[in-house]
Amino acid sequence: MNSTTSDAICFQPPGLVEFPRAWAWQQQLQRRLLDVPSGPDAVVLLQHQPCYTLGRGADPSFLGFDPMAPPAPLHRIDRGGEVTFHGPGQLVLYPVLNLQRHGADLHLYLRQLEGVVIDVLAALGLRGERIAGLTGVWVDGCKVAAIGVGARRWISQHGLALNVDGDLRGFAQVVPCGIRDRAVGRLVDWLPQLTLAAVQPLLLQAFAQRFGLRLRPPSRQETLQGW
Amino acid sequence: MPALSSTMTEGKIVEWLKKPGDPVARGESVLVVESDKADMDVESFNEGFLAAVLMPAGGTAPVGETIGLIVETEAEIAEVVAKAPAAPTAASAPAPVAAVAPPASASPAPAPVAAPVAVAAPVASGRVVASPRAKKLASQHGVALDSLRGSGPHGRIQAEDVERALGLTVAVPRVAEGSGPAVVAAAGSGAAVAAPAPAGDAFGRPGESVGFNTLQNAVNRNMVASLQVPCFRVGYTITTTKLDAFYKQVKPKGVTMTALLAKAVGVVLARHPQVNAATSADGSAMSFPAAVNVAVAVAMEDGGLITPVLANADKTDIYSIARNWADLVARARSKQLQPEEYSTGTFTLSNLGMFGVDRFDAILPPGTGAILAVAASRPTVVAGKDGSMRVANQMQVNLTCDHRTIYGAHAAAFLKDLAQLIETNPETLAH
Repeated sequence: MNSTTSDAICFQPPGLVEFPRAWAWQQQLQRRLLDVPSGPDAVVLLQHQPCYTLGRGADPSFLGFDPMAPPAPLHRIDRGGEVTFHGPGQLVLYPVLNLQRHGADLHLYLRQLEGVVIDVLAALGLRGERIAGLTGVWVDGCKVAAIGVGARRWISQHGLALNVDGDLRGFAQVVPCGIRDRAVGRLVDWLPQLTLAAVQPLLLQAFAQRFGLRLRPPSRQETLQGW
Repeated sequence: MPALSSTMTEGKIVEWLKKPGDPVARGESVLVVESDKADMDVESFNEGFLAAVLMPAGGTAPVGETIGLIVETEAEIAEVVAKAPAAPTAASAPAPVAAVAPPASASPAPAPVAAPVAVAAPVASGRVVASPRAKKLASQHGVALDSLRGSGPHGRIQAEDVERALGLTVAVPRVAEGSGPAVVAAAGSGAAVAAPAPAGDAFGRPGESVGFNTLQNAVNRNMVASLQVPCFRVGYTITTTKLDAFYKQVKPKGVTMTALLAKAVGVVLARHPQVNAATSADGSAMSFPAAVNVAVAVAMEDGGLITPVLANADKTDIYSIARNWADLVARARSKQLQPEEYSTGTFTLSNLGMFGVDRFDAILPPGTGAILAVAASRPTVVAGKDGSMRVANQMQVNLTCDHRTIYGAHAAAFLKDLAQLIETNPETLAH
């Protein structure tokens, strides 16, 4: 996409992060780019504590439980799309980018995020596919990566979640992304030896390549609140 | 509706962050639009007040559609409200036709996210009144605004006036076309929008008397003729939750809600030939057409309306219907339809859902037996027989019938069948 390569800050908070904290970080990074749109892009790679998130326009009928008493914390957030589940064993990538520098086209952005996952799968010898109209990445008809984004003045938030080796039971209690008749999968179902640690660098590398970014660790001043 | 992507044709309004009457600062988020799996906060480019919301949350509008109006001063809110679209009146047309969206105004393609919310310029005496886009165009091209005569309301200078002065092509008049559960009146984007947007396009100015054009005269003749028909009306509430979900699946393949509704009506008509029948011209017989041809009412920008026909809607697949419909609307726009393409409908569909209309009825087009008025699908609290409650999308439909040929029981059976198809297995429409 971009002919020139620019720096992007890469945050990799360890452990399992509660959703509200990660959301606050993204908002902090988004505010920074809103204030200084020429500033560097950023990306956060992490795993979440088990939780459910709903897009702003999401249909609560896709929840298989009482929203007042969810089996894991439920958050309605400012992204597009229906309900999804996050939990351990799932790599979550949150790019906070100034999309004006990446085509200023939300559909294109979604396709690029799918492309990132497809590149990762290719590096692992798996064939990831897109299905027209069903945003996400699919292997043998199973959804391995969910995508949902939000933007303000073309500064992005939220992103993609790739199931590597986690427990998928959290998905069973909802209709993920509002798609009833398709299964959710994880990479270890195809590659039993695969570890999260092996996928992590591939994901960052594929992301950097697709978006023409050079990922660097944060400087001393570039901190996320409460990390 | 701003374009958030070059491949975006329509967007869903997830939420209005401002209410009509609220002050809006420059750069402040006014609403949230969703397209595919992406949300975008849409901001106002001007300071002022949100005067009107033309497309409520949950609604879908094509790119370029006016979805709300922002005015500069609080005083203008009342003015916009006063001029707000009155409830559209059901009308009948040249060939089979019914109530439709009000006429559309020309709309130049909006730049990505430029002027997402149309801004109504103040109407004041003693100074040049021009739309923001007209002002911008004029300054870009060095045109003196006070040298122009405005074609907008109260002589307001529109972008087209500037384009005309520059000798640029002016966007061709547009036909409103179906999209979402609705006939869409493509109101002008950005500048072309006069204060009372979609229905505000009057054919004359205050104090004038304007003759009907040929098409309007044809519509008038049919409307008056329909008074000779003993009509009655039957309503039905249809849950569209499944249809909406199915629509989401096929939309990326180019299938519109108009295509789905036309197909559904066609399939059910094939099983209810009595509702597809009409009283013969001399009133002596019931005539049963050889085919199920679903006409869909469309408003013409310059007045009148037309009913392009989806022939054999029951036997045509939804993808072909969607393509045929796009072609018919495009040619209706350029006035290239052949008579058989708008006069051979055996049943008519009229849709005002996109205006948030919750119910209306239509006038029966002469030569046919029935017309179906389709209102907006909206989230509704539904009580189950067991006393449970849930929220489901529901829309009201209203069938107008010629009682000489179609009786209440025929109409009821047809509507029940249609509701069952839409409510339980809309995915069979793809077969």
